[in-house]
Amino acid sequence: MSMVEEPLYPIAVLIDELKNDDIQLRLNSIRRLSTIARALGEERTRKELIPFLSENNDDDDEVLLAMAEELGVFIPYVGGVEHAHVLLPPLETLCTVEETCVREKAVESLCRIGSQMRETDLVDWFIPLVKRLAAGEWFTARVSACGLFHIASPSAPEMLKTELRSIYSQLCQDDMPMVRRSAATNLGKFSATVESAHLKTDIMSMFEDLTQDDQDSVRLLAVEGCATLGKLLEPQDCVAHILPVIINFSQDKSWRVRYMVANQLYELCEAVGPEPTRTDLVPAYVRLLRDNEAEVRIAAAGKVTKFCRILNPELSIQHILPCVKELSSDSSQHVRSALASVIMGMAPVLGKDATIEQLLPIFLSLLKDEFPDVRLNIISKLDQVNQVIGIDLLSQSLLPAIVELAEDRHWRVRLAIIEYIPLLASQLGVGFFDDKLGALCMQWLQDKVYSIRDAATNNLKRLAEEFGPEWAMQHIVPQVLDMITNPHYLYRMTILRAISLLAPVMGSEITISKLLPVVINVSKDRVPNIKFNVAKVLQSLIPIVDHSVVEKTIRPCLVELCEDPDVDVRFFANQALQSVDHVIMSS
Amino acid sequence: MESVPSNTHGGLDEQISQLMQCKPLSEQEVRVLCDKAKEILMEESNVQPVKSPVTICGDIHGQFHDLAELFRIGGKCPDTNYLFMGDYVDRGYYSVETVTLLVALKVRYSQRITILRGNHESRQITQVYGFYDECLRKYGNANVWKIFTDLFDYFPLTALVESEIFCLHGGLSPSIETLDNIRNFDRVQEVPHEGPMCDLLWSDPDDRCGWGISPRGAGYTFGQDISEQFNHTNNLKLIARAHQLVMEGYNWGHEQKVVTIFSAPNYCYRCGNMASILEVDDCKAHTFIQFEPAPRRGEPDVTRRTPDYFL
Repeated sequence: MSMVEEPLYPIAVLIDELKNDDIQLRLNSIRRLSTIARALGEERTRKELIPFLSENNDDDDEVLLAMAEELGVFIPYVGGVEHAHVLLPPLETLCTVEETCVREKAVESLCRIGSQMRETDLVDWFIPLVKRLAAGEWFTARVSACGLFHIASPSAPEMLKTELRSIYSQLCQDDMPMVRRSAATNLGKFSATVESAHLKTDIMSMFEDLTQDDQDSVRLLAVEGCATLGKLLEPQDCVAHILPVIINFSQDKSWRVRYMVANQLYELCEAVGPEPTRTDLVPAYVRLLRDNEAEVRIAAAGKVTKFCRILNPELSIQHILPCVKELSSDSSQHVRSALASVIMGMAPVLGKDATIEQLLPIFLSLLKDEFPDVRLNIISKLDQVNQVIGIDLLSQSLLPAIVELAEDRHWRVRLAIIEYIPLLASQLGVGFFDDKLGALCMQWLQDKVYSIRDAATNNLKRLAEEFGPEWAMQHIVPQVLDMITNPHYLYRMTILRAISLLAPVMGSEITISKLLPVVINVSKDRVPNIKFNVAKVLQSLIPIVDHSVVEKTIRPCLVELCEDPDVDVRFFANQALQSVDHVIMSS
Repeated sequence: MESVPSNTHGGLDEQISQLMQCKPLSEQEVRVLCDKAKEILMEESNVQPVKSPVTICGDIHGQFHDLAELFRIGGKCPDTNYLFMGDYVDRGYYSVETVTLLVALKVRYSQRITILRGNHESRQITQVYGFYDECLRKYGNANVWKIFTDLFDYFPLTALVESEIFCLHGGLSPSIETLDNIRNFDRVQEVPHEGPMCDLLWSDPDDRCGWGISPRGAGYTFGQDISEQFNHTNNLKLIARAHQLVMEGYNWGHEQKVVTIFSAPNYCYRCGNMASILEVDDCKAHTFIQFEPAPRRGEPDVTRRTPDYFL
């Protein structure tokens, strides 16, 4: 162990503070437990500190939580793995406390320690601990025990393994639902450590108990077990044992259980394989898509693309698509929104013809949905459809709707459209773009919302890059420069921003002849905010124009701004001037 | 090659970008910041003159993510000038981050932003409505609460935009006839339970004429006749104030002599109201911009979450 950096005096204080009345001090001390341990040395840590901690477990939950966490990484301080077992007693006590998060942390730390312990030590110390907790009188101990079996089991001799399985089986039938829930949660992890011979017998019977539990909170945890167990079993066993459970769950009387199934069904499909999916799970999924409870339909709708990817296109079109059509006019906006967030991904799965015939009408109706999130979800994934049906068809059928949304009441919908424009432009080409979209791109520069104006300036830059400076000189630059006379300072500022973004694309010549004069002119603006943005834009133009222009035009303008009555104008003008000097010096 | 040794105002620029991500400053940083803020604020008038263009905003109440949305709508400070009319803290989950950010912006760009005092910028009120508890939770002690509430005493009570729009948190007071009345009193104190300073932060306009007793237990209600008389006496065109939830985010009253602006959308995360800000541009034209709550990251759109029983 390396030398202790902290002097000894604070150590004494820390140890003292472990017993202090002020919780904050105890907490600080616990968080620096490793420092104390290093100062004490390994032996005294084992013989004094750990026993002390074991006795002092009547503390505040916050202190106990910190203690449970610290002990998980304490093996080096007690002298390495051969002494790891001394850490078990304090953690065992923490496994029984009332507060859930303390118990969970203690279980986590025990797992961490147990996975490093030597096999013989596990048998001597860890497994007895698990058995004690599992037989605990108070339910908290039994809840904690469930999370330790997967660490205890692998190194146990055969006899002990059998005993552990039988104890776990009892926990699955415990009187307290909290214990059964914990057993259900941890069943997957435990099963992964059990030999396959016992899987089909012992584990499956525990699982069946849990799936028939009278508490829905237990059953819904068992749903998660379906996928985990399914992956451990041979396919034919999976079909025989897991499939019927899934089918039952999909018709469970509790909507929360059905909700879990809807969320996980596509994973279960992978476990049971393609044929049973076709015959049994498709009908189950269709039922969930038409569930009475909106919450279940939301979950099912959100998985529709993932599910279709597992099926073949014919089945998807035959069975799933009719449901999708229904869901697109569902009475719950949240169902429509969930559908809209994934439906674009169905296009590649279904192929071109089905997308054109069946999906496009649904897209169009969702694009006109009254709920903005639904519209937004469709727009933000439009590119997935391009690839399937081609831009021509997309533009014919969807462009009118897109143009309409360019003026949507909700700014995030407008933003999504703007962000889609460069892609659209590159695929549609110049001619088409000029006719339909050019005017919109200018209109966005004068949007009421700052983020839209900002996105609009970026959009112009990307268009100039796409179609080239010559096109931009004709179709963008003059229109943009005209707007510099807008009576509202924020709109003039947008134009300044556009200029600084366009300049690198347009090149030195156009920047000097067209853009720079406008910027210089605005340096006399009545509003200080415009003036300090002039300084920022000039700073950004320095690398683009010749030195002579910097000296002749930019520097004098900045020097004048440095004399401005407004402090912020002077600050940004000074910053820009420093840039000028820097460039001159480095050349 | 254009890296210029930039003057970051003693780390203030970094602190502002940290706060913009909703990460609070350390206690020591807050202490230094508030010392600087005090020097700036103590120079400001009880009726702080403000030039147009400026964007006028109402209550924020610790809804940090909606303040971030406000900046996405109205533009960033310092590019856009702002005037906030109080109630930065309490009720929302992020009072600490919200008020620290606004104070940091004030210190860094004192000419670009004005922050007035609201009735919640007070020791008494913050102990009941959340700011005190939040400070305790986030810092482990009440020092930051003490630092901020001591600073609140220096916040100006009212502002005057281009000598024509009178901005304040609450409303008028029967003990105040002219703006000079306000200019003359000593504001550096805890908000009193009664009297002119209390009224400015607590009063509400009302449909009934004259002065009325406020149901809030502090301040008064004032009718259109009072607003008209006050505007006439002081040569004002408009009284802009906050303090009351209005469903559309803004609400005209008293035949456009008074406007209420409220900038906390879906107030208390459940009222379902819009928020708004008022842009007064350099030609003194008025534009209201309404906005909705910022989308919350990681919160899915479900009507009802699966309840975790027994947790």
